[in-house]
Amino acid sequence: MLNRHILERVLLRAMSGGADFAEIFAERSRSSSISYVDSRIESIYDNTLSGVGIRAFLGVRTVYASTTDITEEGLMLCAASVAEAIGEGRADQNIVLSERITPNIHPVRIVPSDSLTGFAADLLKAGCQAAAGYDKRIIQVQGRLMTNDRNILIANSEGLYITDRSVRTRIAISAIASDGTENQTGSASPGALMGLEFFEEHMPEEIGRRAAEQAITNLEAVYCRAGKMTVAIESGFGGVLFHEACGHSLEATSVAIGASQMAGKLGQKIANEKVTVVDDGTIPGGWGSMNIDDEGNPARRNVLIENGVLKSYMIDRLGSRRMGLPVTGNSRRENYSFEPTSRMTNTFILNGPDRNEDIIASIEYGLYAKEMGGGSVNPLTGAFNFSVREGYMIRNGKICEAVRGASLIGTGSQILENIDMVGQNQACGEGMCGSRSGSVPVGVGQPLIRMTGLTVGGR
Amino acid sequence: MIDFEELKAELIKAAAAAGIEQYEIYYQLIRDASAETFRDEISGFSFGVSGGICFRCISGGRMGYAATELMTPGEMHELVIRAHENAKHIENDDEVFIYPGSPKYGQKTREADKFPDAALLKNNALALQRNTYAKSKHVTDGTQSQVFAFETETRICNSMGLDLKNTAGATGGYTRAVVKVNGESADDYDFTLGCGLDSLLPLSDNAVSGALAKIGAGEIDSGKYDIIIGGRQMQGLLAAFSSVFSGKSARLGLSLLAGKEGCEVASSCITITDDPFDPNCPMQTTFDAEGVAVYTKNVIEKGILKTLLYDLTNAKKAGVGSTGNASKGSYASTVGISPFCLSIRPGEYSLEELFRIVRSGLYVTEIKGLHAGANHATGDFSVECAGFLIEGGRRGQPVKSFTIAGNFYGLLRSITHVGNKVEYGMPSGFTVFASPAVLVRDISVAGK
Repeated sequence: MLNRHILERVLLRAMSGGADFAEIFAERSRSSSISYVDSRIESIYDNTLSGVGIRAFLGVRTVYASTTDITEEGLMLCAASVAEAIGEGRADQNIVLSERITPNIHPVRIVPSDSLTGFAADLLKAGCQAAAGYDKRIIQVQGRLMTNDRNILIANSEGLYITDRSVRTRIAISAIASDGTENQTGSASPGALMGLEFFEEHMPEEIGRRAAEQAITNLEAVYCRAGKMTVAIESGFGGVLFHEACGHSLEATSVAIGASQMAGKLGQKIANEKVTVVDDGTIPGGWGSMNIDDEGNPARRNVLIENGVLKSYMIDRLGSRRMGLPVTGNSRRENYSFEPTSRMTNTFILNGPDRNEDIIASIEYGLYAKEMGGGSVNPLTGAFNFSVREGYMIRNGKICEAVRGASLIGTGSQILENIDMVGQNQACGEGMCGSRSGSVPVGVGQPLIRMTGLTVGGR
Repeated sequence: MIDFEELKAELIKAAAAAGIEQYEIYYQLIRDASAETFRDEISGFSFGVSGGICFRCISGGRMGYAATELMTPGEMHELVIRAHENAKHIENDDEVFIYPGSPKYGQKTREADKFPDAALLKNNALALQRNTYAKSKHVTDGTQSQVFAFETETRICNSMGLDLKNTAGATGGYTRAVVKVNGESADDYDFTLGCGLDSLLPLSDNAVSGALAKIGAGEIDSGKYDIIIGGRQMQGLLAAFSSVFSGKSARLGLSLLAGKEGCEVASSCITITDDPFDPNCPMQTTFDAEGVAVYTKNVIEKGILKTLLYDLTNAKKAGVGSTGNASKGSYASTVGISPFCLSIRPGEYSLEELFRIVRSGLYVTEIKGLHAGANHATGDFSVECAGFLIEGGRRGQPVKSFTIAGNFYGLLRSITHVGNKVEYGMPSGFTVFASPAVLVRDISVAGK
């Protein structure tokens, strides 16, 4: 990694245009991807990412520059460009970097490396072959095993010098089932902030079978009827609904500029009192966890909504300046080429007072969304959309036939009020979240919940 | 600064030392800059230079890949060893190729825009933002404008003596207007790319009028509707399902167009063309990610599937020639298949004429959630929409919070009329999609 004295000189150079704060984010990461398709390992590639991002603030004005040239000359050139872009002032400041050690709360036992490529390929194959063998109607299986070993260094003009290493592992298996006239899909894609020891608790064969089972269920499913209805959303990845519908509206990225329906609502009741939501970057091994955020702040557990009352936003350094509120350890970026901003980590609804069986039994006619797909939201209006990857109709309190092709739409404020039953089997799922600082791994979660009056898209 | 020739020499030396005879060096350098506004000032300015090298080689009949951004001679030797090692674990026995080059390469219809300096980007972003605010007293916080530029240099050199270079780049702008009227908020945006910085100001009109038009939007009843899908929305649908035109997807059973060449797969009013040299396509190249010459072809012609899209390996499997559609998402990616400028060709109807033909229905001007609500393997989609009622043959009241659901293959067959104005989406790498508005009968809509 880079010499501390060079970093001090680069920071000073970045501030020489009159900036009141400067920061260096250096990264070297190795990612690898093994792909399986058509009953065999199809491709393997790896990539070394190496570069630096330099950021400077003058009040709430920011300049960000990134480069792959990590020589001192290259960094000074980059810093000079930052200084020139920020203004024509000058800064007399002395910067002394002092190392801060953060405990590693996510230890890794089996670090992915070149020598383990064959071992990892065998894990992927085992999962994909289990999917292919699940049912003769499975006509194709695609799989991917991805690892990322990320090393970062953050130094800033306040004297912070901190390094961190994080290793992530994820497997994604997708199965296609066909009855000869049409295709349907199923997928499973768990991951963790762990090395290859992840597969000691998550057997690849089980992951493959889950994907295949879902494809067969969808093949036998009928098209979902459209209309407004009560929806029960299962635990785990079902939490993506909160992530999209409300979570993004609580990020400083939109709150600080007034582009969020949640702006100015701290302390107000915004949800049913059964709803308590936390964003927790400290869960050991959690897919969205970290030791430090991408500005060097320790990861934290923040209560966002407590018994229906809005308690906190998720705030990065720039958002903090704009909003006059402290940072919350939520600053994230895909890599050094992105300027960081406020993002979620692992965000989930906590267990509530209702028994799961009572939730299903309470629905006369509705949809049971066993597995959610992805979605998106407009933070200004809170309007959201989601796909349902695996769904069933509920009639007279009983889960009935499988349905396909359903989507859910509504607005965040509406659904927060309409979550009127919260179950007790809270679990987390894993996803990738795209926003202005790139694509970052996030955990989403909840127990089984009931929501009334949701628009269900279908045929 | 990076000396590519020096790194290339190191790679060639390392390949020789490892006994590798067939290899390719793919190098990409990307330069970008962007100025962003908040209220009446420049709130952020960013710029960057990034790039990397991908080395791929044939070892034991398999293609191994490795990539890096670390531009040092030592890393080049590592790269060769990693690619060589990765090849050993591959089981795919499809024939792989290092391409010697096409007899002839086409002519681009436009070159890279001149990369603007920081002051020009900032001044234009500020002018655009002020113009957006000036359009209406209802424009409020959350309104943002951005002006940006990017430039890409790509090199492909290989052991067959191929040495190709391409530079592409464009400048563009974006404005998002947030309006608040009687406590109700709405937003809309517009963007342009590759049309010059002096074409930015009209974006404000579209964004502000679009946002204001959404105020007072109501909900609609669920049911079957005749709908007009706007050009920008239809290009989004085309993009979401573009993998169905891939020869590889077809081979793997992931596209229902497999084996349908020469068959009717769409309404006779539909012609879909992949034209890498479309003058409205700002990012142009004369060669694909394997070095094969790109060219213009009809994928669907008057409803008949003429060809799927191929790279060298999948063309060989299908017994046809490459269509010059090999692609890479980034320098580090393995080779995939993508179109360059895939567009539904324009028909003869203006938007107003389409409204008159529909008489009563829906005009969809916003589609969201295509990344999740579109299933490539099945063609099914169910997505969130907003737009306007069509009443008495005219655009009527705004409507929101409804979904449209259907199947992409079925949609292509159900289009009865095609508009005459093609709208382009935002390019991703060298790929862009385009479409005019289309009229589709009897689509399932979920509303209140």
